[in-house]
Amino acid sequence: MVDARLIETSDSAHAPACRQVALDLARRLPAALVAAKDLAASLMHGVHGRRRAGVGETFWQFRHFTSGEAAQTIDWRRSARGDGLFVREREWEAAHTLWLWMDLSPSMGFVSDLAREPKVDRALALGLAAADLLVRGGERVGLLGLSRALAARDIVDRLGEVLAVEASRDVERAELPPAVALGPRNRAILIGDFLIEPKLFAERLSTIAARGASGHMVMIADPVEETFPFAGHVELVDSDSPATLRLGRAESWRADYEQRLARHRADIFDVARAHGISVLVHRTDRPASEALIALRARLEEGGATGGRA
Amino acid sequence: MMGLPLAFAAPLALLGLLSLPVIWLLIRVTPPRPKRLPFPPLKIILDSERKDETPARTPWWLLALRLAVAAIVCLAFAGPIWNPPAASSGGAGPLLIVLDDGWAAAPTWESRAAFAISAAESAGRRGAPVAVLAVSEGAREITPTDSARAIDVLRAKQPQPIEPPRAAALQAIEAFAARNKDPRVLWLADGLEQGGARAFAERLAALFGSSLEIATDAHRPRGLAGPRNEAQGLIVRVVRAGAAPDGIVRALDLKGLTLAEAPFAFGASDETEAKIDLPVELRNEVARLDIRGERSAGAVALLDDRWKRRRVGIVSGASADVAQPLLAPNYYVSRALAPYADLRRTRPGATDPIGALLADGVDMLVVSDMAIPPGETHDKLQKFIENGGALVRFAGTRLAGAHDDLTPVRLRRTGRVLGGALSWEKPKKLAAFDEKSPFYGLRIPDDVTISRQVLAEPEPGLAARTWAQLADQTPLVTAEKRGKGLLVLFHITADTTWSNLPISGLFPDMLRKLTTLAGSSAAIAPEEQDVAASGEPRKIETLAPQRMLDGFGGFIAPPATARAISADFQGPASLDHPPGFYGPADSAVAVNALEPEAKLAAVDLAGISARRLEIDNARAIDLRAPLMAAAFLLLVVDALASLWLSGGLPRFAARKASAAILAFAVMAPAMFEDAPRFVVVAQAQQNPQAKPSTKPPTKRDMDAALSTRLAYVVTGDARVDETSRAGLVSLTQTLAQRTALTPGEPVGVDPARDELAFYPLIYWPVVAAQPQPSALARQKIAAYMKQGGTVVFDTRDALTARAGATTPEGEWLRKLLEGVDVPELEPTPRDHVITKTFYLIDHFVGRTANGQTWIEALPPEPANGEARPARSGDSVSPIVIVSNDLAAGWAGDRYGEPLYPLTPGGQRQREMALRGGVNLLMYTLTGNYKADQVHVRDLLNRLGH
Repeated sequence: MVDARLIETSDSAHAPACRQVALDLARRLPAALVAAKDLAASLMHGVHGRRRAGVGETFWQFRHFTSGEAAQTIDWRRSARGDGLFVREREWEAAHTLWLWMDLSPSMGFVSDLAREPKVDRALALGLAAADLLVRGGERVGLLGLSRALAARDIVDRLGEVLAVEASRDVERAELPPAVALGPRNRAILIGDFLIEPKLFAERLSTIAARGASGHMVMIADPVEETFPFAGHVELVDSDSPATLRLGRAESWRADYEQRLARHRADIFDVARAHGISVLVHRTDRPASEALIALRARLEEGGATGGRA
Repeated sequence: MMGLPLAFAAPLALLGLLSLPVIWLLIRVTPPRPKRLPFPPLKIILDSERKDETPARTPWWLLALRLAVAAIVCLAFAGPIWNPPAASSGGAGPLLIVLDDGWAAAPTWESRAAFAISAAESAGRRGAPVAVLAVSEGAREITPTDSARAIDVLRAKQPQPIEPPRAAALQAIEAFAARNKDPRVLWLADGLEQGGARAFAERLAALFGSSLEIATDAHRPRGLAGPRNEAQGLIVRVVRAGAAPDGIVRALDLKGLTLAEAPFAFGASDETEAKIDLPVELRNEVARLDIRGERSAGAVALLDDRWKRRRVGIVSGASADVAQPLLAPNYYVSRALAPYADLRRTRPGATDPIGALLADGVDMLVVSDMAIPPGETHDKLQKFIENGGALVRFAGTRLAGAHDDLTPVRLRRTGRVLGGALSWEKPKKLAAFDEKSPFYGLRIPDDVTISRQVLAEPEPGLAARTWAQLADQTPLVTAEKRGKGLLVLFHITADTTWSNLPISGLFPDMLRKLTTLAGSSAAIAPEEQDVAASGEPRKIETLAPQRMLDGFGGFIAPPATARAISADFQGPASLDHPPGFYGPADSAVAVNALEPEAKLAAVDLAGISARRLEIDNARAIDLRAPLMAAAFLLLVVDALASLWLSGGLPRFAARKASAAILAFAVMAPAMFEDAPRFVVVAQAQQNPQAKPSTKPPTKRDMDAALSTRLAYVVTGDARVDETSRAGLVSLTQTLAQRTALTPGEPVGVDPARDELAFYPLIYWPVVAAQPQPSALARQKIAAYMKQGGTVVFDTRDALTARAGATTPEGEWLRKLLEGVDVPELEPTPRDHVITKTFYLIDHFVGRTANGQTWIEALPPEPANGEARPARSGDSVSPIVIVSNDLAAGWAGDRYGEPLYPLTPGGQRQREMALRGGVNLLMYTLTGNYKADQVHVRDLLNRLGH
């Protein structure tokens, strides 16, 4: 019979090894650019050319100087070749802002014999790797409710430090993302096991997406949680609450459990999709790169579709 | 119990087995502890209705395991005994255990002792006191003690290498029977009649009646008796009592190495012989015969000098007959005796042949046709015979014509000629040997004829002294015992002139018989021989015990009870004189457990009214402890299984098992202290202490090791040291400018104090006024040169040196190098590689230019080889001696100007000095590389082909 245990999730958040894993993971993929079709009209500098003049670095067009403009905008070299005065315009380049949230609740510390690593390790690796990918692509990434969005090159370390500080605080870590209303066209990346009441999840999502943010959701699951491979006399202990359940013959519970799990997931997914959040299920017995590739594809194509990786 | 040799001390405890079904029911309904697992999605199913809450049952194998534990514990409490002793019945009266502890009991001693111990144990369980009497202890008072003491006594008992004297023990047993009420006796008989076993048994039966138990075993002893070193081999009698199997007799030397083995087969009889066929030389080495696989003193026969080959001296009255050996009187005697004896002859022309041979320590002296007139030789011979020597004489014309009392019989003056021209009789034949004659049994060939002989004077007792006679009863061989020795006379010559006996097959047999008769006590050292010859009587010696046999037939140191034997000790071994070797190691006397004529007989116990027991190898085993151990082990298994079932095992194993393994790894060496690996570890730990030289390196050494640098020896003369330093600094700069080598700052070293191994070259300016360095410094210099370093000694005396005279510096250097292994030196040849390593130079100049440079001599140039541009040895010369004050020549100021005026002078000389220095250093660093370089063109050419 399989064995399983719980580890302390804050240990993982502290561990620099986790950041290294994330970096290794991220550096295997090219930089990710969030799909530009619904770019936020923000003043933030970014790399998404907006096909119109604006703040940016790339040459866009020369236009005639209109009086009243500041004289320093005149491109004298171009103007010297003709009679009129010209102004050099650059293409407007803007950046996306993405907000990461990784579930650090005790249930994420679960790891079974069948899994490669605890769920929390996988979540941290995925989240930080995604951050690295995005920042390399020119986007700005922040931790939802914990930090502001940054485009620093050492984003993994910066976010990792924030996470470590957060993990060292002795508070009960919620299973839900913080109730922060994101700005319009911001995106959230939510990584966790989402073993929560769909109703609570819906409330929290509506708060987050209240101003028009969308996002992506990666549901991390241990293989044991999906297959329920127990047999015989087993006592199951909840990770977040003191609840226990003693099963005389665990094998007879499997079908029921699978059915209930499927229903729970359908509920959660429905809630997510309703708030414009794409859904991805990832099992910890699969390689992390699989999930990262799928997440990257979601980020680049946009849209809220369901899937499994 | 049901045919099994199993008994229970407390059979009632077996009723506990009835509780097994109850235990079974209890265990069956008690489920194993559930496995506790964290499960985050628990909330999902928390609210589902409880379905089947009947927990899983205890697995059947765990059930079986626990029932087995319960059953084993029940059995263990019942006190099971495997092979319960047969003699465990009886009352509370004292038990006397009589042990036959002769050699016959030794082969099965372990089972006998075990049987006796189990009998004592069972008596102890009954509470009866136990007394132990080994038969060899004889008449000692027997006191019953508790069984534990008796068992200790029994454990300490060992078999004795003798036949047990039972008569003495009987007295003690009678006293015991009289003193104690309701006594019981257990006699462990060895199965031999020897020592009056039947009478002993009858007496015991009379004393104790039905409370007598006699235990015997199936082993039938075998013994070796009467070894004889005969012509055809070493022969030993093998005797047995009862139906003992055939076997193999081994012959061993004194060191215990097996020399030969010979099988023996009894057939129907109880006696047989084993013949060990060995070359005589090896046969003499045999010191011990034993029966393979029979561990008893009776199955060992020890051999001493009496069984050895004899030394025989041969003397002839005839002279200078070496040219015709077939006619020499000694020829046939020598040929006949050579296979059996160690022959000694005198040199031709020896002044006193008999005296010389006697001094040589012969056992038997063969004197052919020689008259021995009264005188010194006569007295010596007389003494020799008295002391046990054998004198064998052959008649002849000289003997026949002389008066001589060294004959066993008086001789008639004239010889008798048979079948000659003046005789009417034909040559006589030999009569059959008399039974009393030692020659009895020898086959007489038909063609042996005697044609002439000396006649014995008819006198009383002649017949008794006659060992061989002619068909007409004329004595042919007469003998007489004188003192310890023997005097034998052949009435014929030793050659074929008087008879053809010497060329018959009978002759060697007769001589061999005589050889075996010759005593060994004549082997006296020459000094003693002189003492003996001077007429002083020899004392009767006693021989101290040297190596004794124990009951098992192994050699031991003499026990305290062993006493010395007299030199002529005969008879069986006893407790006072146990079998073994007595006397000095080189001429020890052997005493054997069995007499030469001994026979063995099995004791006949028919008609003795006693309970008969059989000693078998199986001894009672108390099964309580093994059963308890098994139950405990099963409990451990059960605990592990329970742990595993409840899921605790993997975690327990992961954490605790590693700790346990670590603990075992730490403790294992301590548990097996003799393990070689541990010894190695210990040595490895001790080694650092054994080597005090592993001190941490100093900063100076570190610097020296990290960059190549030049070194000079600090002489103590400040001016010279400064010159050396300045010179080496200049040379270092030059090297850095012109070559690929960039040495570090030069250093001054003290050979006594500093480690020299880091420097490729040490410059040593010789200052005659300074004291010689210490011996330690000299050793270090020698070691440095051996390790491949080069020392450049600069005597700086080129200006003062005169041909034929030694300068003080030269003297100082010579003194220094006295303790150092300096190779052969020569003035640097023009083609030496040192002149070509970087620059092409002629010689080494310094402040002066006329000094000679000495360097290790090169191997001579091959004569036929073409002249080479450069030669070199296999290694760098460890020593270079210059006299041109190189350092002063090199030394320059900051602007490159020479510090010292040069002789004869000029910029060119300084340049040449520096070039010489560069070459010198390149030589020490690259060795013979340049010498090989000159062949590069040839090598390339060859490669091109």
